[in-house]
Amino acid sequence: MAIPAIEAKELTRDYGAMRAVDHISFAVQAGEVFGFLGPNGAGKTTTLRMLTTLLEPTSGTALLNGFDITRQGYGARRQFGVVPEESNVYRELTGRQNLLFSGQLYRVPKAERERRAVELVTKFGIDNKLDALADTYSRGMRRKLTICMALMHRPSILFLDEPTAGLDVRGQRSIIEFIRLLNAEGMTIFLTTHQIEEANQLCNRVAIINGGKIAAIDTPERLKQTIQDVQSVEVALDPCPTGAQDALGRLPTVTTAVTHGDKIRLYTPDPSQVLPAVMEYAVERGARIVSLNTLGPSLEDVFLKITGQSIAKETEEPLEGRQGRGRGSCAVSGGDSH
Amino acid sequence: MKPSLWSRISDEAAQAWAILVKDMRVYYLQPPMIMYGLVLPFFIFFSFSVKRNLGIQCSMANLLALTTFFTASSAGPVIVPLERRERTYDRLMTAPMSLWTVLLGKTLVGALFAIAASIIPLIVGIVLLGAQINALPLVIVTVLLTTAAFSAFGLFFASFPAQSVGTIMMPSTLMRWPLLFISGVFIPLTDMDPWLRVISYISPLTYGQDLLHHALDSKAVLPLGLDLGAMALGVVLFLVIAYLLHQRSRKLGY
Repeated sequence: MAIPAIEAKELTRDYGAMRAVDHISFAVQAGEVFGFLGPNGAGKTTTLRMLTTLLEPTSGTALLNGFDITRQGYGARRQFGVVPEESNVYRELTGRQNLLFSGQLYRVPKAERERRAVELVTKFGIDNKLDALADTYSRGMRRKLTICMALMHRPSILFLDEPTAGLDVRGQRSIIEFIRLLNAEGMTIFLTTHQIEEANQLCNRVAIINGGKIAAIDTPERLKQTIQDVQSVEVALDPCPTGAQDALGRLPTVTTAVTHGDKIRLYTPDPSQVLPAVMEYAVERGARIVSLNTLGPSLEDVFLKITGQSIAKETEEPLEGRQGRGRGSCAVSGGDSH
Repeated sequence: MKPSLWSRISDEAAQAWAILVKDMRVYYLQPPMIMYGLVLPFFIFFSFSVKRNLGIQCSMANLLALTTFFTASSAGPVIVPLERRERTYDRLMTAPMSLWTVLLGKTLVGALFAIAASIIPLIVGIVLLGAQINALPLVIVTVLLTTAAFSAFGLFFASFPAQSVGTIMMPSTLMRWPLLFISGVFIPLTDMDPWLRVISYISPLTYGQDLLHHALDSKAVLPLGLDLGAMALGVVLFLVIAYLLHQRSRKLGY
Protein backbone atom coordinates (compact mmCIF):
# COMPACT_ATOMS: atom_id res chain seq x y z
CA MET A 1 0.00 0.00 0.00
CA ALA A 2 1.28 3.49 -0.88
CA ILE A 3 2.60 5.55 1.98
CA PRO A 4 0.32 8.42 3.04
CA ALA A 5 1.27 11.88 1.82
CA ILE A 6 0.84 13.18 5.37
CA GLU A 7 0.84 11.06 8.49
CA ALA A 8 0.61 12.71 11.91
CA LYS A 9 1.53 10.52 14.84
CA GLU A 10 0.51 11.64 18.32
CA LEU A 11 1.42 15.22 17.42
CA THR A 12 1.42 17.39 20.54
CA ARG A 13 2.32 20.99 21.23
CA ASP A 14 2.39 22.83 24.56
CA TYR A 15 2.75 26.57 25.10
CA GLY A 16 3.89 26.71 28.70
CA ALA A 17 1.14 25.09 30.74
CA MET A 18 -1.39 25.28 27.91
CA ARG A 19 -1.73 22.30 25.57
CA ALA A 20 -2.61 23.69 22.13
CA VAL A 21 -2.53 20.36 20.25
CA ASP A 22 -3.11 17.15 22.12
CA HIS A 23 -1.82 13.84 20.69
CA ILE A 24 -3.48 14.10 17.30
CA SER A 25 -3.03 11.35 14.71
CA PHE A 26 -4.37 11.20 11.17
CA ALA A 27 -3.29 10.22 7.68
CA VAL A 28 -3.90 11.99 4.38
CA GLN A 29 -3.59 9.91 1.23
CA ALA A 30 -1.85 11.20 -1.89
CA GLY A 31 -4.24 13.14 -4.09
CA GLU A 32 -6.70 13.89 -1.31
CA VAL A 33 -8.11 17.29 -0.36
CA PHE A 34 -8.12 17.20 3.41
CA GLY A 35 -9.84 19.91 5.43
CA PHE A 36 -8.86 20.80 8.96
CA LEU A 37 -11.83 22.52 10.57
CA GLY A 38 -12.10 24.08 13.94
CA PRO A 39 -13.14 27.20 15.80
CA ASN A 40 -10.60 29.93 16.51
CA GLY A 41 -7.92 28.73 18.92
CA ALA A 42 -8.71 25.05 18.34
CA GLY A 43 -5.16 24.24 17.22
CA LYS A 44 -5.49 24.37 13.43
CA THR A 45 -2.66 26.79 12.72
CA THR A 46 -0.42 25.26 15.40
CA THR A 47 -0.84 21.87 13.70
CA LEU A 48 -0.09 23.37 10.30
CA ARG A 49 3.00 25.15 11.64
CA MET A 50 4.26 21.86 13.09
CA LEU A 51 3.62 19.99 9.84
CA THR A 52 5.52 22.64 7.88
CA THR A 53 8.49 22.47 10.33
CA LEU A 54 8.01 26.04 11.56
CA LEU A 55 7.27 24.87 15.07
CA GLU A 56 8.80 21.97 16.96
CA PRO A 57 6.30 19.49 18.35
CA THR A 58 6.49 18.99 22.12
CA SER A 59 6.08 15.30 21.39
CA GLY A 60 5.01 13.08 18.52
CA THR A 61 5.92 13.60 14.90
CA ALA A 62 4.61 13.55 11.35
CA LEU A 63 5.79 12.08 8.08
CA LEU A 64 5.52 13.90 4.76
CA ASN A 65 5.85 11.39 1.92
CA GLY A 66 7.77 9.28 4.43
CA PHE A 67 10.11 12.07 5.62
CA ASP A 68 10.03 12.68 9.37
CA ILE A 69 9.52 16.39 10.10
CA THR A 70 11.54 16.22 13.34
CA ARG A 71 14.51 14.20 12.07
CA GLN A 72 14.53 14.74 8.29
CA GLY A 73 13.57 18.40 8.04
CA TYR A 74 15.55 18.97 4.83
CA GLY A 75 13.85 16.10 3.00
CA ALA A 76 10.43 16.94 4.46
CA ARG A 77 10.67 20.57 3.36
CA ARG A 78 11.25 19.55 -0.24
CA GLN A 79 7.86 17.81 -0.30
CA PHE A 80 5.53 20.73 0.26
CA GLY A 81 4.60 24.29 -0.55
CA VAL A 82 2.89 26.40 2.07
CA VAL A 83 0.46 29.29 1.82
CA PRO A 84 0.05 31.01 5.19
CA GLU A 85 -3.04 32.92 6.21
CA GLU A 86 -1.31 36.25 5.62
CA SER A 87 0.01 36.69 2.09
CA ASN A 88 3.73 36.80 2.76
CA VAL A 89 5.05 38.29 -0.44
CA TYR A 90 7.83 40.87 -0.56
CA ARG A 91 5.96 44.03 -1.40
CA GLU A 92 9.14 45.85 -2.43
CA LEU A 93 9.72 43.29 -5.20
CA THR A 94 7.78 42.75 -8.41
CA GLY A 95 5.65 39.67 -8.89
CA ARG A 96 8.31 38.20 -11.15
CA GLN A 97 11.09 38.86 -8.61
CA ASN A 98 9.03 37.24 -5.87
CA LEU A 99 8.46 34.14 -7.97
CA LEU A 100 12.06 33.86 -9.09
CA PHE A 101 13.29 34.24 -5.51
CA SER A 102 10.98 31.44 -4.45
CA GLY A 103 12.31 29.30 -7.29
CA GLN A 104 15.89 30.05 -6.22
CA LEU A 105 15.18 28.94 -2.66
CA TYR A 106 14.02 25.57 -4.01
CA ARG A 107 16.87 25.35 -6.53
CA VAL A 108 14.61 25.33 -9.56
CA PRO A 109 16.90 25.63 -12.63
CA LYS A 110 17.06 29.16 -14.04
CA ALA A 111 15.35 28.53 -17.39
CA GLU A 112 12.64 26.50 -15.66
CA ARG A 113 12.12 29.30 -13.08
CA GLU A 114 11.31 31.86 -15.76
CA ARG A 115 9.00 29.47 -17.60
CA ARG A 116 7.23 28.31 -14.45
CA ALA A 117 6.70 31.88 -13.20
CA VAL A 118 4.97 32.90 -16.42
CA GLU A 119 2.97 29.66 -16.55
CA LEU A 120 1.65 30.13 -13.01
CA VAL A 121 0.68 33.78 -13.27
CA THR A 122 -1.03 33.10 -16.58
CA LYS A 123 -2.98 30.23 -15.05
CA PHE A 124 -3.97 32.49 -12.16
CA GLY A 125 -4.82 35.49 -14.31
CA ILE A 126 -2.28 37.89 -12.80
CA ASP A 127 0.14 37.86 -15.74
CA ASN A 128 -0.65 41.50 -16.57
CA LYS A 129 0.91 42.56 -13.25
CA LEU A 130 3.96 40.28 -13.38
CA ASP A 131 6.43 43.16 -13.51
CA ALA A 132 4.56 45.48 -11.15
CA LEU A 133 5.59 45.82 -7.51
CA ALA A 134 3.64 43.46 -5.28
CA ASP A 135 2.80 46.51 -3.18
CA THR A 136 0.49 47.67 -5.97
CA TYR A 137 -1.44 44.36 -5.99
CA SER A 138 -4.92 44.00 -4.54
CA ARG A 139 -5.37 41.65 -1.58
CA GLY A 140 -6.72 38.91 -3.86
CA MET A 141 -3.82 39.28 -6.26
CA ARG A 142 -1.30 39.06 -3.41
CA ARG A 143 -3.06 35.88 -2.29
CA LYS A 144 -2.72 34.44 -5.76
CA LEU A 145 0.92 35.45 -5.93
CA THR A 146 1.54 33.73 -2.57
CA ILE A 147 0.01 30.53 -3.92
CA CYS A 148 2.05 30.80 -7.12
CA MET A 149 5.22 31.19 -5.02
CA ALA A 150 4.35 28.03 -3.11
CA LEU A 151 3.96 26.15 -6.40
CA MET A 152 7.18 27.21 -8.10
CA HIS A 153 8.99 23.97 -7.24
CA ARG A 154 6.03 21.70 -8.13
CA PRO A 155 5.48 20.29 -4.63
CA SER A 156 3.39 17.16 -4.21
CA ILE A 157 1.73 18.52 -1.06
CA LEU A 158 0.24 21.99 -0.65
CA PHE A 159 -0.60 23.38 2.79
CA LEU A 160 -3.09 26.23 2.81
CA ASP A 161 -3.99 28.16 5.96
CA GLU A 162 -7.41 29.82 5.59
CA PRO A 163 -6.90 30.24 1.82
CA THR A 164 -9.90 32.47 1.16
CA ALA A 165 -9.87 34.55 4.35
CA GLY A 166 -10.41 38.24 3.71
CA LEU A 167 -11.24 37.83 0.02
CA ASP A 168 -14.40 38.98 -1.73
CA VAL A 169 -16.75 36.41 -3.26
CA ARG A 170 -15.07 36.58 -6.66
CA GLY A 171 -11.64 36.14 -5.11
CA GLN A 172 -12.86 33.21 -3.01
CA ARG A 173 -14.34 31.45 -6.04
CA SER A 174 -11.22 31.94 -8.03
CA ILE A 175 -9.04 30.43 -5.28
CA ILE A 176 -11.41 27.49 -4.78
CA GLU A 177 -11.40 26.77 -8.52
CA PHE A 178 -7.64 26.84 -8.54
CA ILE A 179 -7.39 24.45 -5.60
CA ARG A 180 -9.70 22.07 -7.49
CA LEU A 181 -7.50 22.35 -10.55
CA LEU A 182 -4.33 21.61 -8.56
CA ASN A 183 -5.98 18.61 -6.96
CA ALA A 184 -7.13 17.36 -10.37
CA GLU A 185 -3.47 17.45 -11.38
CA GLY A 186 -2.74 15.07 -8.51
CA MET A 187 -1.58 17.42 -5.76
CA THR A 188 -2.40 16.56 -2.15
CA ILE A 189 -4.08 19.53 -0.48
CA PHE A 190 -4.20 20.13 3.26
CA LEU A 191 -6.25 23.17 4.18
CA THR A 192 -7.24 24.68 7.46
CA THR A 193 -10.40 26.72 7.44
CA HIS A 194 -13.27 27.88 9.55
CA GLN A 195 -15.38 28.35 6.42
CA ILE A 196 -17.53 25.28 6.64
CA GLU A 197 -19.02 25.57 3.18
CA GLU A 198 -15.57 25.86 1.65
CA ALA A 199 -14.59 22.55 3.25
CA ASN A 200 -17.91 20.99 2.24
CA GLN A 201 -17.33 21.92 -1.40
CA LEU A 202 -13.66 21.10 -1.63
CA CYS A 203 -12.68 18.32 0.73
CA ASN A 204 -12.66 14.57 0.25
CA ARG A 205 -12.37 14.27 4.02
CA VAL A 206 -12.41 16.67 6.93
CA ALA A 207 -11.11 16.52 10.47
CA ILE A 208 -12.81 18.64 13.09
CA ILE A 209 -10.41 19.77 15.77
CA ASN A 210 -11.64 21.19 19.02
CA GLY A 211 -9.64 22.04 22.12
CA GLY A 212 -6.51 20.63 20.51
CA LYS A 213 -8.04 17.20 19.88
CA ILE A 214 -9.53 15.66 16.79
CA ALA A 215 -13.21 15.29 17.52
CA ALA A 216 -14.25 13.73 14.20
CA ILE A 217 -12.67 12.72 10.94
CA ASP A 218 -14.56 11.47 7.89
CA THR A 219 -16.06 12.49 4.55
CA PRO A 220 -18.45 15.47 4.78
CA GLU A 221 -21.43 13.32 3.78
CA ARG A 222 -20.74 10.60 6.35
CA LEU A 223 -20.32 13.21 9.04
CA LYS A 224 -23.70 14.68 8.12
CA GLN A 225 -25.30 11.24 8.40
CA THR A 226 -24.20 10.99 12.01
CA ILE A 227 -26.58 13.76 13.03
CA GLN A 228 -29.76 13.05 11.08
CA ASP A 229 -31.75 14.30 14.08
CA VAL A 230 -30.63 17.84 13.22
CA GLN A 231 -33.01 18.51 10.34
CA SER A 232 -35.03 21.64 9.85
CA VAL A 233 -37.90 23.35 8.07
CA GLU A 234 -37.33 26.88 6.83
CA VAL A 235 -40.27 29.13 6.08
CA ALA A 236 -40.68 32.70 4.83
CA LEU A 237 -44.11 34.33 5.41
CA ASP A 238 -45.58 37.50 3.92
CA PRO A 239 -46.52 39.33 6.04
CA CYS A 240 -44.68 37.73 8.89
CA PRO A 241 -47.10 37.71 11.86
CA THR A 242 -45.93 39.19 15.15
CA GLY A 243 -44.65 36.47 17.46
CA ALA A 244 -44.34 33.96 14.62
CA GLN A 245 -41.00 32.62 15.81
CA ASP A 246 -42.40 31.80 19.29
CA ALA A 247 -45.61 30.35 17.91
CA LEU A 248 -43.85 28.14 15.36
CA GLY A 249 -41.30 27.14 18.00
CA ARG A 250 -44.15 25.58 20.01
CA LEU A 251 -45.26 23.27 17.15
CA PRO A 252 -44.97 19.53 17.87
CA THR A 253 -41.42 18.04 17.52
CA VAL A 254 -39.85 21.49 16.97
CA THR A 255 -36.81 21.77 19.27
CA THR A 256 -35.55 25.24 18.34
CA ALA A 257 -36.81 28.13 16.24
CA VAL A 258 -34.34 30.65 14.90
CA THR A 259 -34.85 33.71 12.69
CA HIS A 260 -32.47 34.01 9.74
CA GLY A 261 -33.14 37.28 7.96
CA ASP A 262 -36.69 37.07 6.54
CA LYS A 263 -36.93 33.33 7.24
CA ILE A 264 -37.67 31.27 10.32
CA ARG A 265 -35.87 27.98 10.73
CA LEU A 266 -37.47 25.24 12.79
CA TYR A 267 -35.17 22.45 13.97
CA THR A 268 -36.87 19.07 14.24
CA PRO A 269 -36.09 15.35 14.02
CA ASP A 270 -39.26 14.90 11.89
CA PRO A 271 -39.95 17.56 9.22
CA SER A 272 -43.01 15.65 7.91
CA GLN A 273 -44.94 16.53 11.06
CA VAL A 274 -43.92 20.16 11.00
CA LEU A 275 -44.72 20.97 7.35
CA PRO A 276 -48.56 20.66 7.59
CA ALA A 277 -48.58 22.50 10.90
CA VAL A 278 -46.65 25.41 9.38
CA MET A 279 -49.08 25.60 6.44
CA GLU A 280 -52.02 25.53 8.81
CA TYR A 281 -50.46 28.35 10.86
CA ALA A 282 -50.00 30.45 7.71
CA VAL A 283 -53.61 29.96 6.61
CA GLU A 284 -54.96 30.82 10.08
CA ARG A 285 -52.94 34.06 10.16
CA GLY A 286 -53.69 35.01 6.54
CA ALA A 287 -50.01 34.97 5.62
CA ARG A 288 -48.69 33.96 2.21
CA ILE A 289 -45.95 31.32 2.21
CA VAL A 290 -43.14 32.86 0.15
CA SER A 291 -40.94 29.80 0.49
CA LEU A 292 -40.94 26.55 2.43
CA ASN A 293 -37.96 24.20 2.45
CA THR A 294 -36.82 21.15 4.34
CA LEU A 295 -33.13 21.15 5.11
CA GLY A 296 -30.93 18.20 5.91
CA PRO A 297 -28.09 18.47 8.41
CA SER A 298 -25.21 20.52 7.08
CA LEU A 299 -21.53 20.17 7.77
CA GLU A 300 -21.95 23.30 9.84
CA ASP A 301 -24.48 21.51 12.04
CA VAL A 302 -21.98 18.70 12.50
CA PHE A 303 -19.34 21.26 13.35
CA LEU A 304 -21.57 23.05 15.84
CA LYS A 305 -22.64 19.83 17.48
CA ILE A 306 -19.10 18.51 17.79
CA THR A 307 -17.57 21.75 18.98
CA GLY A 308 -20.35 22.15 21.50
CA GLN A 309 -21.65 25.44 20.17
CA SER A 310 -25.39 25.92 20.38
CA ILE A 311 -27.51 26.85 17.40
CA ALA A 312 -28.81 29.88 19.28
CA LYS A 313 -25.29 31.13 19.89
CA GLU A 314 -24.36 30.44 16.32
CA THR A 315 -27.14 32.72 15.09
CA GLU A 316 -25.72 35.59 17.12
CA GLU A 317 -22.32 35.06 15.51
CA PRO A 318 -23.23 33.41 12.21
CA LEU A 319 -20.66 31.09 10.74
CA GLU A 320 -20.08 31.46 7.06
CA GLY A 321 -21.42 28.90 4.68
CA ARG A 322 -25.07 28.51 5.66
CA GLN A 323 -26.04 28.76 2.02
CA GLY A 324 -24.61 25.39 1.22
CA ARG A 325 -27.04 23.46 3.41
CA GLY A 326 -28.59 20.50 1.61
CA ARG A 327 -32.00 21.54 0.34
CA GLY A 328 -35.02 19.28 0.23
CA SER A 329 -37.42 18.98 -2.68
CA CYS A 330 -40.58 20.45 -1.25
CA ALA A 331 -40.11 24.14 -1.88
CA VAL A 332 -43.70 25.11 -2.62
CA SER A 333 -43.36 28.51 -4.11
CA GLY A 334 -41.08 31.38 -4.90
CA GLY A 335 -41.48 35.12 -4.75
CA ASP A 336 -39.97 38.29 -3.44
CA SER A 337 -38.88 38.28 0.13
CA HIS A 338 -40.08 41.07 2.28
CA MET B 1 17.25 10.50 -3.14
CA LYS B 2 19.73 12.09 -0.75
CA PRO B 3 21.84 14.78 -2.48
CA SER B 4 25.62 14.42 -2.49
CA LEU B 5 27.64 16.59 -0.13
CA TRP B 6 28.98 18.72 -2.98
CA SER B 7 25.53 19.20 -4.47
CA ARG B 8 24.19 20.14 -1.04
CA ILE B 9 26.99 22.69 -0.45
CA SER B 10 26.46 24.13 -3.91
CA ASP B 11 22.71 24.39 -3.30
CA GLU B 12 23.17 26.05 0.08
CA ALA B 13 25.67 28.57 -1.33
CA ALA B 14 23.22 29.48 -4.10
CA GLN B 15 20.40 29.83 -1.57
CA ALA B 16 22.55 32.10 0.66
CA TRP B 17 23.30 34.22 -2.42
CA ALA B 18 19.59 34.42 -3.28
CA ILE B 19 18.85 35.67 0.25
CA LEU B 20 21.67 38.20 -0.04
CA VAL B 21 20.35 39.61 -3.32
CA LYS B 22 16.77 39.66 -2.05
CA ASP B 23 17.71 41.47 1.18
CA MET B 24 19.83 43.96 -0.73
CA ARG B 25 16.88 44.83 -2.99
CA VAL B 26 14.20 44.81 -0.34
CA TYR B 27 15.96 46.46 2.60
CA TYR B 28 19.40 47.87 1.89
CA LEU B 29 18.98 49.70 -1.41
CA GLN B 30 16.24 51.85 0.06
CA PRO B 31 16.69 55.60 0.64
CA PRO B 32 16.41 55.51 4.48
CA MET B 33 19.02 52.77 4.74
CA ILE B 34 21.39 54.52 2.35
CA MET B 35 21.04 57.78 4.28
CA TYR B 36 21.45 56.08 7.63
CA GLY B 37 24.34 53.87 6.59
CA LEU B 38 26.35 56.47 4.72
CA VAL B 39 25.58 59.83 6.23
CA LEU B 40 25.30 59.05 9.95
CA PRO B 41 28.89 57.81 10.40
CA PHE B 42 30.19 61.03 8.81
CA PHE B 43 28.13 63.17 11.18
CA ILE B 44 29.23 61.23 14.23
CA PHE B 45 32.82 61.35 13.11
CA PHE B 46 32.90 65.09 12.50
CA SER B 47 31.04 65.78 15.76
CA PHE B 48 33.85 64.21 17.74
CA SER B 49 36.87 64.95 15.54
CA VAL B 50 36.66 68.65 14.75
CA LYS B 51 39.69 70.57 16.12
CA ARG B 52 41.34 67.47 17.51
CA ASN B 53 44.22 67.33 15.01
CA LEU B 54 44.13 63.55 14.75
CA GLY B 55 45.96 63.47 11.44
CA ILE B 56 44.62 62.23 8.11
CA GLN B 57 45.61 58.57 8.52
CA CYS B 58 44.21 58.30 12.04
CA SER B 59 41.00 60.11 11.07
CA MET B 60 40.47 57.79 8.15
CA ALA B 61 40.93 54.74 10.34
CA ASN B 62 38.38 56.11 12.81
CA LEU B 63 35.91 57.04 10.10
CA LEU B 64 36.24 53.62 8.51
CA ALA B 65 35.68 51.96 11.88
CA LEU B 66 32.51 54.00 12.40
CA THR B 67 31.23 53.38 8.89
CA THR B 68 31.77 49.63 8.93
CA PHE B 69 30.33 49.35 12.43
CA PHE B 70 27.16 51.33 11.75
CA THR B 71 26.38 50.13 8.27
CA ALA B 72 27.07 46.47 8.98
CA SER B 73 25.31 46.18 12.33
CA SER B 74 22.27 48.46 11.88
CA ALA B 75 19.99 46.68 9.45
CA GLY B 76 20.07 43.17 10.91
CA PRO B 77 18.18 44.05 14.10
CA VAL B 78 15.45 45.64 11.96
CA ILE B 79 15.13 43.10 9.17
CA VAL B 80 14.66 39.84 11.05
CA PRO B 81 11.89 41.00 13.45
CA LEU B 82 10.22 42.77 10.51
CA GLU B 83 10.31 39.56 8.47
CA ARG B 84 8.97 37.63 11.42
CA ARG B 85 6.05 40.04 11.74
CA GLU B 86 5.32 39.99 8.00
CA ARG B 87 5.69 36.19 7.99
CA THR B 88 8.19 36.40 5.15
CA TYR B 89 10.68 34.80 7.53
CA ASP B 90 8.53 31.66 7.43
CA ARG B 91 9.30 31.48 3.74
CA LEU B 92 12.98 31.06 4.55
CA MET B 93 12.34 28.67 7.42
CA THR B 94 10.19 26.32 5.33
CA ALA B 95 12.61 26.20 2.41
CA PRO B 96 14.90 23.16 2.13
CA MET B 97 18.07 24.72 3.47
CA SER B 98 20.05 24.87 6.66
CA LEU B 99 19.49 27.61 9.21
CA TRP B 100 23.20 28.31 8.81
CA THR B 101 22.54 29.23 5.19
CA VAL B 102 19.91 31.79 6.18
CA LEU B 103 22.25 33.30 8.77
CA LEU B 104 25.15 33.31 6.34
CA GLY B 105 23.08 35.08 3.67
CA LYS B 106 21.94 37.70 6.15
CA THR B 107 25.48 38.25 7.48
CA LEU B 108 26.96 38.57 4.01
CA VAL B 109 24.42 41.13 2.83
CA GLY B 110 25.21 43.39 5.81
CA ALA B 111 28.92 42.94 5.21
CA LEU B 112 28.63 43.65 1.47
CA PHE B 113 26.64 46.82 2.09
CA ALA B 114 29.21 47.97 4.66
CA ILE B 115 32.08 47.22 2.25
CA ALA B 116 30.38 49.37 -0.38
CA ALA B 117 29.81 52.09 2.22
CA SER B 118 33.44 51.98 3.40
CA ILE B 119 34.69 52.77 -0.11
CA ILE B 120 33.31 56.30 0.23
CA PRO B 121 35.46 57.37 3.24
CA LEU B 122 38.41 55.66 1.58
CA ILE B 123 37.93 57.69 -1.62
CA VAL B 124 37.32 60.90 0.35
CA GLY B 125 40.45 60.25 2.40
CA ILE B 126 42.69 59.39 -0.53
CA VAL B 127 41.45 61.83 -3.18
CA LEU B 128 40.49 64.88 -1.12
CA LEU B 129 42.69 64.63 1.94
CA GLY B 130 45.76 62.94 0.51
CA ALA B 131 45.71 59.89 2.74
CA GLN B 132 48.00 57.02 1.79
CA ILE B 133 47.44 53.30 1.83
CA ASN B 134 50.71 51.52 2.37
CA ALA B 135 49.41 48.01 3.05
CA LEU B 136 46.49 47.48 0.65
CA PRO B 137 46.13 43.71 1.28
CA LEU B 138 45.84 44.36 5.01
CA VAL B 139 43.25 47.09 4.41
CA ILE B 140 41.21 44.66 2.29
CA VAL B 141 41.45 41.84 4.84
CA THR B 142 40.61 44.27 7.64
CA VAL B 143 37.53 45.68 5.89
CA LEU B 144 36.30 42.17 5.00
CA LEU B 145 36.78 40.87 8.52
CA THR B 146 35.39 43.87 10.39
CA THR B 147 32.29 44.14 8.19
CA ALA B 148 31.60 40.41 8.59
CA ALA B 149 32.06 40.59 12.37
CA PHE B 150 29.89 43.69 12.78
CA SER B 151 27.19 42.27 10.52
CA ALA B 152 27.14 39.06 12.58
CA PHE B 153 27.00 41.27 15.68
CA GLY B 154 23.81 42.90 14.32
CA LEU B 155 22.36 39.51 13.48
CA PHE B 156 23.04 38.36 17.02
CA PHE B 157 20.62 41.05 18.29
CA ALA B 158 18.14 40.22 15.55
CA SER B 159 17.97 36.62 16.64
CA PHE B 160 16.30 37.19 19.99
CA PRO B 161 12.77 35.75 19.89
CA ALA B 162 10.64 38.79 19.03
CA GLN B 163 8.33 39.99 16.27
CA SER B 164 8.47 43.65 17.13
CA VAL B 165 11.24 45.79 15.68
CA GLY B 166 11.12 48.01 18.78
CA THR B 167 11.76 45.08 21.10
CA ILE B 168 15.05 44.41 19.32
CA MET B 169 16.05 47.96 18.36
CA MET B 170 15.97 49.37 21.89
CA PRO B 171 18.53 47.00 23.45
CA SER B 172 20.52 46.93 20.23
CA THR B 173 20.85 50.73 20.19
CA LEU B 174 21.52 50.92 23.92
CA MET B 175 24.30 48.39 23.49
CA ARG B 176 25.91 49.73 20.31
CA TRP B 177 26.15 53.45 21.10
CA PRO B 178 28.14 53.10 24.36
CA LEU B 179 30.58 50.87 22.48
CA LEU B 180 31.64 53.93 20.47
CA PHE B 181 32.98 55.52 23.64
CA ILE B 182 34.77 52.54 25.12
CA SER B 183 36.33 51.11 21.98
CA GLY B 184 39.08 53.60 21.25
CA VAL B 185 37.34 55.39 18.38
CA PHE B 186 37.09 58.73 20.15
CA ILE B 187 39.25 58.14 23.24
CA PRO B 188 42.44 56.25 22.33
CA LEU B 189 42.93 53.03 24.27
CA THR B 190 46.21 54.39 25.65
CA ASP B 191 44.38 57.36 27.23
CA MET B 192 41.75 55.24 28.98
CA ASP B 193 41.66 54.50 32.68
CA PRO B 194 42.81 50.91 33.33
CA TRP B 195 39.34 49.76 34.40
CA LEU B 196 37.74 51.26 31.28
CA ARG B 197 40.38 49.65 29.13
CA VAL B 198 39.55 46.26 30.63
CA ILE B 199 35.90 46.81 29.69
CA SER B 200 36.89 47.90 26.20
CA TYR B 201 38.35 44.46 25.51
CA ILE B 202 34.83 43.05 25.59
CA SER B 203 33.81 45.20 22.63
CA PRO B 204 34.31 43.87 19.08
CA LEU B 205 34.69 47.47 17.92
CA THR B 206 37.90 47.78 19.98
CA TYR B 207 39.62 45.13 17.88
CA GLY B 208 38.03 46.39 14.66
CA GLN B 209 39.23 49.95 15.05
CA ASP B 210 42.66 48.80 16.26
CA LEU B 211 42.95 46.58 13.20
CA LEU B 212 42.15 49.56 10.98
CA HIS B 213 44.93 51.47 12.69
CA HIS B 214 47.27 48.59 11.87
CA ALA B 215 46.21 48.90 8.26
CA LEU B 216 46.27 52.68 7.92
CA ASP B 217 48.62 54.24 10.46
CA SER B 218 50.98 53.18 13.21
CA LYS B 219 48.73 53.96 16.15
CA ALA B 220 47.50 50.43 16.85
CA VAL B 221 47.78 49.38 20.47
CA LEU B 222 47.10 45.64 20.37
CA PRO B 223 49.08 42.98 18.49
CA LEU B 224 47.92 42.43 14.89
CA GLY B 225 47.40 38.72 15.52
CA LEU B 226 45.14 39.44 18.48
CA ASP B 227 43.00 41.87 16.45
CA LEU B 228 42.68 39.45 13.54
CA GLY B 229 41.94 36.53 15.87
CA ALA B 230 39.37 38.50 17.87
CA MET B 231 37.52 39.60 14.72
CA ALA B 232 37.50 36.09 13.28
CA LEU B 233 36.36 34.70 16.62
CA GLY B 234 33.68 37.43 16.72
CA VAL B 235 32.23 36.27 13.39
CA VAL B 236 32.04 32.67 14.58
CA LEU B 237 30.81 33.49 18.08
CA PHE B 238 28.03 35.85 17.00
CA LEU B 239 26.85 33.40 14.32
CA VAL B 240 26.79 30.50 16.79
CA ILE B 241 24.83 32.53 19.34
CA ALA B 242 22.47 33.72 16.58
CA TYR B 243 21.97 30.08 15.52
CA LEU B 244 21.17 28.99 19.08
CA LEU B 245 18.76 31.90 19.54
CA HIS B 246 17.00 31.01 16.29
CA GLN B 247 16.65 27.43 17.43
CA ARG B 248 15.14 28.74 20.64
CA SER B 249 12.75 30.93 18.62
CA ARG B 250 11.62 27.90 16.65
CA LYS B 251 10.90 26.07 19.88
CA LEU B 252 8.90 29.03 21.15
CA GLY B 253 7.04 29.42 17.86
CA TYR B 254 8.28 32.87 16.66
